[in-house]
Amino acid sequence: MMRLAARDRPLALLILALAAIGLLVLAGPVLIVLLTSFTTSQALRFPPPGLTLRWYAELFDATRSAQIHRAALNSLAVAACTAAIATALATAAALAISRSRATWARFAEGAFLAPLVLPGIAYGLATLMFFSWLRLPPSFLLLVAGHAIIATPFALRTVGASAAGLDPALLESSASLGASPWRTFRRVILPLILPGVAAGGFLSFVSSLDNVPVSLFLSSAGTDMLPIRLWGMMESALDVRVAAASGVLVAVAFLLLVVMDRAVGLVRRMAG
Amino acid sequence: MLEQMPPADAALVTGTPAGHRLDMDGIRVRYGQATAVDDVTLTVPPGEILALLGPSGCGKTTLLRSVAGFIRPEAGRVLVDGRPIDHLPPGGRGVGIVFQSYALFPHMTAAQNVAYGLEARGRPQKEIRQKVEAALAAVRMEAFAERRPRALSGGQQQRVALARALAIEPAILLLDEPFAALDRALRLDLQLEIKRIQRRFGVTAVLVTHDQDEAMSMADRMAVMRGGRVEQVGAPAEVYDNPATPFVAGFVGTSNRLHGRIEAREGAAYRIRLDVGASLVADSPRGFAVGERVLLTARPEQLALRDASDPDPAAFPARLRQSLPLGPALMHDVEAGSTELKLHQPRHGAPPVPGPVRVALLPEARPALFAAGDAA
Repeated sequence: MMRLAARDRPLALLILALAAIGLLVLAGPVLIVLLTSFTTSQALRFPPPGLTLRWYAELFDATRSAQIHRAALNSLAVAACTAAIATALATAAALAISRSRATWARFAEGAFLAPLVLPGIAYGLATLMFFSWLRLPPSFLLLVAGHAIIATPFALRTVGASAAGLDPALLESSASLGASPWRTFRRVILPLILPGVAAGGFLSFVSSLDNVPVSLFLSSAGTDMLPIRLWGMMESALDVRVAAASGVLVAVAFLLLVVMDRAVGLVRRMAG
Repeated sequence: MLEQMPPADAALVTGTPAGHRLDMDGIRVRYGQATAVDDVTLTVPPGEILALLGPSGCGKTTLLRSVAGFIRPEAGRVLVDGRPIDHLPPGGRGVGIVFQSYALFPHMTAAQNVAYGLEARGRPQKEIRQKVEAALAAVRMEAFAERRPRALSGGQQQRVALARALAIEPAILLLDEPFAALDRALRLDLQLEIKRIQRRFGVTAVLVTHDQDEAMSMADRMAVMRGGRVEQVGAPAEVYDNPATPFVAGFVGTSNRLHGRIEAREGAAYRIRLDVGASLVADSPRGFAVGERVLLTARPEQLALRDASDPDPAAFPARLRQSLPLGPALMHDVEAGSTELKLHQPRHGAPPVPGPVRVALLPEARPALFAAGDAA
């Protein structure tokens, strides 16, 4: 810990207070949802009058929550495909961009990161109109395509950081020892940027899993997505299973985060 | 499959030296407007080490990278045993490289690093094992075969990098500032060792360095480069004793610069009147006119301190500022007017007292003479 001089103490207290407020605002809602998911009440209300696991039991009931399960499976499948595509795209882009100092490389980087600042709802509408103009009906593949574009910037951040740390002499060394570009990629590049690739896969997976705007426009009856289904349940009745589902999502995300951090130092990578 | 150079005969196993000749013929490399290498022609005879010596930005690394195949020169050819290799990719040129950063693959052990080039060439497992062992033994690293680069010292990493470059039995070995990252104390040992190994493999080598001591101790011949051009090529002692330009005189070894005027011709030599107040005779392969301004460069060991009362007209008055012990020698810090001089003398007895002295050229010394107009 840093030791502060006496005159710095008011400043330290102020910073501490701000940090506490920030943490409360960020973590508070999550805690409220978690607590609510254990309520004995029939409706989404806080504070809960009593605690029970009833809503989790209902959520995992195969017959009564069949629609939620189908939506969850859809979401997981889309997220998995999205993560695979986004990571592959981001890896290819990051390697090309990191090795070039040309103007096009800076431009390409900007283009790849652009979806980050694009308003999701406008982008969702745009994809729907674009695909209808191409006379493509909403489908699983279109969902994946829409999500992949949104998710790629997340993967590009982490893979890009890994690729930028690659010593170009390693690649030259490999080439000069007679390795083909593919062998260089497989034996030298990929093992060295793997932490960034794994982190990118995780981030794009999560960003797809809870994406609403694109799913809203591109999902159909056959491709019901979890966030959309939960929102629907909220609108029709204040179904407490929504809170339970949120609880499961938060727990799984947190678990994945811990596992990934152990494996590749994800938190450090996201900060970088 | 890559197009390949025929495999080098210098088999690791047999250790039979069989060098290859390297020619750089009229090489020119330009980056945008800047000419990095300007029409350089150099030859390295089989089994020799050529040092490319020069300050940073002189084009020595660019020239090395052209030979390695990482850069396509705008003009000129690179030939091995008289055959052009310009059309070949880096991996097909039969060129082994030791990078300044060593560029060992950090996720592989020393043995895996050394095996990498052989695996890329699709050699059978048994042969790879043998050659990896032989290469690691040659650099005395067999005990560290299973270590990752991170667990090796700088010198050990460098030896693994050398083993990796030699394992593919290259016709040409390129060394890019291989000692720059090492402690000074380690350098000389490794220089001697690398030179020994290079001799044993009989591999033709090009060494890029900005360190003149390194070039002097390692190279059979050195090419001093400046601004993309070669200023002088020759054996290290020859370059040291007879620098072709004032730049070479200043870059290779330490030089004292004395300005003066040609007073007269005396046979094959010239009588020179130095601005610091002395008249001496020196010969030169270059021709000068009487009255021409000249620059005389003398090595620290070519000048000697004399007593302030010494009547020799070839000695000039100066002031001794301090004397520093440099191992077996004394380095005298002297000023003559506005000219600063460094003198080396064997150390015996007590060091001289700072104060007025005279400085003379040793009788057997052959200082270099240049037209004063020559760029520094």
